[in-house]
Amino acid sequence: MTRTAESGMLVAAAGVAAFGVTLVILAGGQTIDSRIGLTFAVMVAAFGTVHMAIRRWAPSASTVILPPAALLTAISLAEIHRLDPVRAGLQQWWLLIAASMTVALLFFLHRRGTATIRRYRYLYLLTGLILLLLPLLPSTGPLPVRGLEVNGSRLWLVVDLGITEIRFQPGEIVKLLMVLFLAGYLAERQSALAERPRQLGPFKFPEPRQLFPVVAVWAVSLVVLVVQRDLGASVLLFGAFIGMIYTATGRPTYLLIGAVLTASAGYGAYRLFDHVERRFLAWIQPFQNFEDAGYQVAQAWFGMGTGSLAGSGIGLGRPDLIPNAATDFIYAAVAEELGFAGSLAILAGFALLIGVGFGIALRCRDRFRKLTAAGLTWVLGLQAFLIIGGVLRLVPLTGITLPFMSYGGSSLVGNFLLLGLLARISHEEPA
Amino acid sequence: MNRPTRRLAAAVLIGFALLGLMTTWVQVVAADTYRLDPRNARFNLTQIGKERGLIVSADGVVLAQSDPDPATTGSFIRSYPTGPVFANVVGYSSLLFGEQGLERAYSDDLRSRRDLTISDLLSVILGRDLRPLNLQLTLTDSLQRIAFEALGGQAGSVVALDPTTGAILAMVSTPSYDPNLLVGVDAAAHWQTLLADPSRPLADRATRELYPPGSTFKTVVSAAAFETGLANPESTFPDEASFQLPGSTATVDNAGGTNCSNGVTTSLLNAFVRSCNATFARLAIAVGAEPIGQVAEGLGFNQELPFTWTVAESAFLTDELSADLAALGQSGIGERDVRATPLQMALVAGAVANQGVVMSPYLVGRTFDADGAEVDTSELAIFGTAFTPETAALLTQMMERVVTEGTGRQAAVPGVRVAGKTGTATGVEGRPHAWFIGFAPVEKPTIAVAVFVEAGGSAGESASGGAVAAPIASQVISGWLNR
Repeated sequence: MTRTAESGMLVAAAGVAAFGVTLVILAGGQTIDSRIGLTFAVMVAAFGTVHMAIRRWAPSASTVILPPAALLTAISLAEIHRLDPVRAGLQQWWLLIAASMTVALLFFLHRRGTATIRRYRYLYLLTGLILLLLPLLPSTGPLPVRGLEVNGSRLWLVVDLGITEIRFQPGEIVKLLMVLFLAGYLAERQSALAERPRQLGPFKFPEPRQLFPVVAVWAVSLVVLVVQRDLGASVLLFGAFIGMIYTATGRPTYLLIGAVLTASAGYGAYRLFDHVERRFLAWIQPFQNFEDAGYQVAQAWFGMGTGSLAGSGIGLGRPDLIPNAATDFIYAAVAEELGFAGSLAILAGFALLIGVGFGIALRCRDRFRKLTAAGLTWVLGLQAFLIIGGVLRLVPLTGITLPFMSYGGSSLVGNFLLLGLLARISHEEPA
Repeated sequence: MNRPTRRLAAAVLIGFALLGLMTTWVQVVAADTYRLDPRNARFNLTQIGKERGLIVSADGVVLAQSDPDPATTGSFIRSYPTGPVFANVVGYSSLLFGEQGLERAYSDDLRSRRDLTISDLLSVILGRDLRPLNLQLTLTDSLQRIAFEALGGQAGSVVALDPTTGAILAMVSTPSYDPNLLVGVDAAAHWQTLLADPSRPLADRATRELYPPGSTFKTVVSAAAFETGLANPESTFPDEASFQLPGSTATVDNAGGTNCSNGVTTSLLNAFVRSCNATFARLAIAVGAEPIGQVAEGLGFNQELPFTWTVAESAFLTDELSADLAALGQSGIGERDVRATPLQMALVAGAVANQGVVMSPYLVGRTFDADGAEVDTSELAIFGTAFTPETAALLTQMMERVVTEGTGRQAAVPGVRVAGKTGTATGVEGRPHAWFIGFAPVEKPTIAVAVFVEAGGSAGESASGGAVAAPIASQVISGWLNR
């Protein structure tokens, strides 16, 4: 696909968003106003500037990265507009912020290349850990930066700017920093981790000191789970790590270790925390617990079933009956209003993006870039799978955002930066 | 490193394929399960304020309509101009309490198709009419009112039908309720009041409540006797005031404890006309449970009648009664193991009037669109044949005598040959249920009717089918023939 064709698809995606907002306004019986043009303009501005930045600073980058992300963003802007027009306005600001940060990232990498990123890997680890712990700051006090607990999970950071305050989930950025750290670390230690000099019964193991980082990341994930009670970030962090170490070593043993550690931590959390137990109930028996823990999932299923093939039409369903429809349950909201066709469009969009991401990783000759591209794509795919799978009851609900779709600034910024990194890597390792 | 990367990619894409399969399950395969779950409020919520179709009676009176809401343009409020008179038939369509009656059974036809969906837009382009359909019933407002007023505040039911088609002409259940209360303001409070009312106004006594049919069931026992060839109206039986049930200390006694005839013998005709219980207990045992059960099932007992909504299943427990002759004797006079709805008993009268053929009962004559053009007409359906035309003729002969000289004299209509049978069945605390089933005119029947008055009505303990139910039947029959 040519760069020009890519720009055409981005404009088309902006058109989808504007058309969606138009339908929402008409379905609500309101008169057409500036929101339609504004949505179109924001979409064009956000994806257009990233597109221009790629043209200028990463001209050999893949042309198939931005269009699927733009389509997902467009559908979500229309749906968030339908659910909560105020939030839709905020989301558009975040979209512009995310795009500018991605442009800045591309500019920065244009001068130095991704190779420089590798050098600061331990800085990412440190920054990541600090960011992870920041929400534990006291929620009241003189500091301009405070932690905040929402729905039993302490994963928010409030930055007081004097005039206004910005709420941020550092976990979304930590995700990227962890991938970068691990790519650097594993590119270096790959062979040591792949060797298995120790034997215990029929099993062969690497040197225990090589396993130290595995246990360390597991411990950090546990801290996130226990102290911050953030099941999603915890699973995502540990899942990212296991996926990357497997990519680096090709040893399925790590997958096994990862599965065992995840299962044991999950069982422990189930026994220890009420909110994890409630999620388990919502997973296994949502309809039997309709009045309580299962309400959200059951409402989502009622909505999706009512939407059926063609959907109710955007603005004509009742996704507002699903609690947190704009964030964790955006997939169910779109499925209800755009029907099976809309659900498949979302799944196809993610599948395309993930396929392209892994394609970039496979093409890479450089080990660090390969691990980074594979890691970023894996994290994106894992996150989308965990939350959509949670809505569809394939896995327990983890309460993380759906990339590019859930309402929320941190998620949008994090995933835009992820796209920027992928684009840069594909530029450095052109097909 | 490419092999594990490929595997990781494959794992994620398999994961997404699973998401696709799961979505297919929720949105396509099992979509209806979740869409129609009673806890899913979505459908009802979309129907708020939408226009629904008219329901009109056969004589053109509007029974349900959607009026423009003065508060909100483009919005409608459902109203029921005839109020309680048709409540058990028309039902209601309420946001809070769902739908009932025809509003429920024909909801798909009555609701507006204007949902602003893509398929609706397509329909508009293709020129399809999205306005709701309307129903015209077989019931007439005039007859319904006569029956409603004839019951006059007593609890009970009247079901009148055309025996040759099965078309229901009137179907009343009292005490009734005003469906307008369930769609307006304070609907919840009215609902609670109705639920708490000990007279149970929300119960549909015509089709959803079962009562012992008493002596009206003697028509079924007689039919079985004729069908088996065991007896005819002239057959004689010992005349006794009381029949000793076999293997039991209990007896079946004639009303008032008197003999039926001269104290020696009585004909079956005389026993039927005077409704002598002892004779029919004896006859039922002589005929046997099987033949009686066969005729009863031909009339619709022991099965779900084909009807607009699910009706209570009238029962004659053939198997139990085959083994228990004493119970069979008691069931021969419509007690013990016999239960029927007024609708079922109207079908019994209808079968006699229609030479043994039972027509499937129905309420809606036709559906028509907003321009008045017919969309659908009800097709007549034969439910089955309960007995031969010869048996029907013998029963007619006996039933006419009931009205001319027997217990049903008060059902008579001047200048019209009326046939019928009374029933006085075990009721509530010594107050018997009063029944009458019949049809007219005998030479070419156009109406079959069942009248049921719960627990004797205003007559209380002294009630009988002949005194309480028969006069109501007379008013209904004369109202129909003189319309």
